[in-house]
Formats: sequence, structure tokens, C-alpha cells
Amino acid sequence: MMNNLSLNEDEKDCLQELMNISYGSATAAIAEIIEKFATLNIPKIQAVTLDEFKDYFKNKLEHSHTHYVTNQLINGTLNGETMFIIDEESTHNLGKEFLFEEDDSNKNEICEDDLKDVILEISNIITSTTLSKFAELIDASITFSPPCIKVLHSIEEFNDSYIDEYNHIIIISTDIKFVDQNIKGELLILSKDESIVYMKEALNRVLDEL
Amino acid sequence: MIKNDIIFNTIDNGIIILDKNLNVLAWNYWLEIRTHITQNEILNKNICEKFSYINEKKLKRKIKTVFVTNNPSYYNVDPHKFLIDIKTNSIIDNMFDSMQQDITIVPYDIEKQQVCLYIYDKTSLYTTNSKLESLNEKLRDLSNRDPLTHAYNRRYFSEFSEKMLSLSKRNNQDVCLCILDIDKFKNINDNYGHSIGDKVIILLAQKLEEYVRVSDVVSRWGGEEFVIFLFNTCLENAQNIAEKIRKNVENLTVDTNTGKLEFTISMGVSQYDDKKDANNIENTLKRADDAMYAAKENGRNQVIIDR
Repeated sequence: MMNNLSLNEDEKDCLQELMNISYGSATAAIAEIIEKFATLNIPKIQAVTLDEFKDYFKNKLEHSHTHYVTNQLINGTLNGETMFIIDEESTHNLGKEFLFEEDDSNKNEICEDDLKDVILEISNIITSTTLSKFAELIDASITFSPPCIKVLHSIEEFNDSYIDEYNHIIIISTDIKFVDQNIKGELLILSKDESIVYMKEALNRVLDEL
Repeated sequence: MIKNDIIFNTIDNGIIILDKNLNVLAWNYWLEIRTHITQNEILNKNICEKFSYINEKKLKRKIKTVFVTNNPSYYNVDPHKFLIDIKTNSIIDNMFDSMQQDITIVPYDIEKQQVCLYIYDKTSLYTTNSKLESLNEKLRDLSNRDPLTHAYNRRYFSEFSEKMLSLSKRNNQDVCLCILDIDKFKNINDNYGHSIGDKVIILLAQKLEEYVRVSDVVSRWGGEEFVIFLFNTCLENAQNIAEKIRKNVENLTVDTNTGKLEFTISMGVSQYDDKKDANNIENTLKRADDAMYAAKENGRNQVIIDR
């Protein structure tokens, strides 16, 4: 079952290309909304299983204890969930970029609620622009539910908070560069089996057209 | 203006249509009856002027997101709590004076730069979640503590010490452990009864918490034995702390029918060492335990350091 649903090398390459295009639209949206120059590096994309993702996330938690995690349901032809994961340092940097003007002197005074709001907002922008564009490219229809946020400190908290419903996870590692700081975040697309079947068919259609 | 639309006026959530300057273009019946403000009263008025507590900058940014992405933008109950302050009047016990709201902002007419705001009442869900969170917190704390002394238990200590050791190693900080045992505790139980024995253990647990820093962790290891995790502490400082604790305990007394009962403790102290302990805090503890037994054999009421 798993073998049939795994992406082969060609499909992975094609997915990477489509995600690069989709993700590009998120860059423009972020820069326009906060009226600051921002660039997004070409994202690193990996297709992994849930267990592989947990090992990956556990490793991240060992390097930085606190991570903010938002999740949002996707409904439609692509069915599943998205997650945006960002460490504490990047969260604070993002808060400064989003909430303050260049000359604000109280840049270090960001309350937890404001930080959560910023993360919710940026993850919604990145998720909705990237996924909407991706859905358009593979001829799928999707809608999103409102995002939720959690602050995690350990893989146990992750296991307690999220169910093991997904076998297929696409990790898009991002690096948003502002003038004086970088913000590293990860957008995850967690797909159900039927969506992977649709995605594989759509990727193969794109490959056939090349 | 939407006025007589049945769905607009019977749906069980608030609907507001705003233009890009935040002027109200529509305000449904749900909002009229809850805010006592009619659509006619608020029409073409700026929503932030009408409700001065709304963060204008934030609302404008959320609306701009809708225009730029052509997708919904959200205010969650957590952290915003509400957009329009509506007092709750439910007979069900809830924790909030104002309705807790989720807000979804969707494109209404992109060309005319108009958005639609849906306001959902999430008070009941949020009350349940908050109560559940607080109960979970209590449950978590209970499962981490020893019921007699309320000191942390052995299970918590094992989890905590592993994490703190990893953090300390990363920050190049020293970690020391103290293990201590009440001297001749069996005699206390035999001579005064188990209730006095329990009082001694409870008093010692309370005082140990007072003697160490907030960042240190005191746990009941079992019976009359306690372990203290000393964070960012070198062996020399750990020795001073242990000596101070031992001396303070000499002055503690528990009231009994036959007068005041004094007691003493023996302590062993060790410092985590990469070479000796190979990334396992249990090995550090074993060395502290051996030192404590040496203190017992050496005459009790003393501190022995593992070097």
C-alpha cells in the first residue's frame, strides 16, 4: 500500500517545481502586506512518512526547545492538514517585523498573545497563497478552516496534541529574509491517502505534458 | 445595503460588510439585537470610531491580507477574545463577561475593495476548553508529585533531570546532585509512631524547598530519601549548599506527646562528569548514593562529596 502511494523521483522533482512556483506567490504577498522588503529562498522540499517527520522534529526540538505550531484543515480535492512550525527565535524576529515600525523603541516588548497572532497570520498567508496556487496548478479545488496554534516543547507534547492520521507529509523548509534578519519556518502538508493518489495522478499529467 | 435578506438576518452569527476604509456597509440582525445598535445607526460609520477598543492597525492588516491573497483571514478567540464587545448573559456557568468570538474575514467584492466579517460565538467552547486545560494542568501536577509531601516524585525527577542535563551540557553549565536520607528513621517510626514519622518527612520536604533556589528541583526518591537537582552549580558550591541544608535540618523540630523531636540527615553529593557518567544521570546519582552511604557509615549527620 505504502509503496504504491510513495512519490517516485520524477514525481518528487515535479512536486518541487510546482511548490517553488506556488511558494513564490507567498513571498510577494508577505512583502506587500507588511510593506517591507522580504525574499524567500528556494524552499527545500522533502516527502516523508509520519515517523520520519517525528524523528526530524525531535531533532529540531533538541536544538531549540520551544516551537510554535499552527495547523489548518484543508478540505476539497486535496484533503488533509497543513502545519507551520517556527522556532522561538524566528517567532520573535517575525513579531518585530510585523508589529513594529523601523524607529519603534519598544521592539523588545512583544506579548505572547501578539506573537501568537502574528504566527497565525503569517502561517495563514503562506498556507493559503501556496496551497491555492498549488491547487490551481494541479486543477484541484480546496478550502481552508481557521488555523489553531500551540506552543510545543517536546515530541511527547506533539504526540499528545496531534493524531497519527497521516502517512504522507511534505515538508517545505522556508527561509524568509528581511533586511536585517532571517526567519526560518517550515510549512508541512499532511495528506490523506486519497489525496496522494490524486496528487500523483496530477503530477504525472504535468510530467506527461513536458 | 442588505436589509431584508432572510439568510442575512436569521443566521446564528454576526455578519458585517466593510469597505477598505473600515466603513460599515451591512450589519445583520444578530448584531443588532446583541449590541442594541441598529443597522441604520451604524451604516457608513467607521467601525473603529464606533468601537474604539478595536485595534485599527491590526484590522486593516487582516483586511489587506484578504485583498492581497484573495483568501480568508482569521481572528482567533485565542488571542483576540472578541472583535465586538458583547456582554454574555447565559445562565450556564461561564468564565467570561464578554462573548468569546472567532472572526473570519472573506473577500466580498474585490473590485470595490469590500470584505465580509463573520462573527462566531465561541464562548461555550472556550469555557469548556479553559476548564479542561486547568483540570489537565492540575492532573499533570498531581501525577508529578508525591501525595504525602507534595514534593516532585521519582518519575518526574527522571524526566526532568534528563532534559536539564541535555540543556546544561549545551550551555556548558555544571550539574550536581545531592541525595539525602533521614538518620535512624526506623527508630523515629518505632518510638513515636508512623504519624510522627510522616510529619518529619513532610517538614523536611517543605524546608528543602525553602533551602534551595527556585531553579533547583527537590524530589522524594522513596521512604525517607530525597534527591536535589542543583542546576548550574559546581561541586564546591554544591558542597556549601549541602552543608547549609544539613546544619539547618539539625535545628528543625517536630512536636510529639513527649516533647520536641529533633532529627539529622546524611548527604552524598556528586557532579555530572562526561567521562564517568557517559551521558547517564543515573550514574551521577549512583555516585551520590555511594557517597551518602559512606556518610552513614562514617557516623551520620554529615556530607560526603564524590570526587
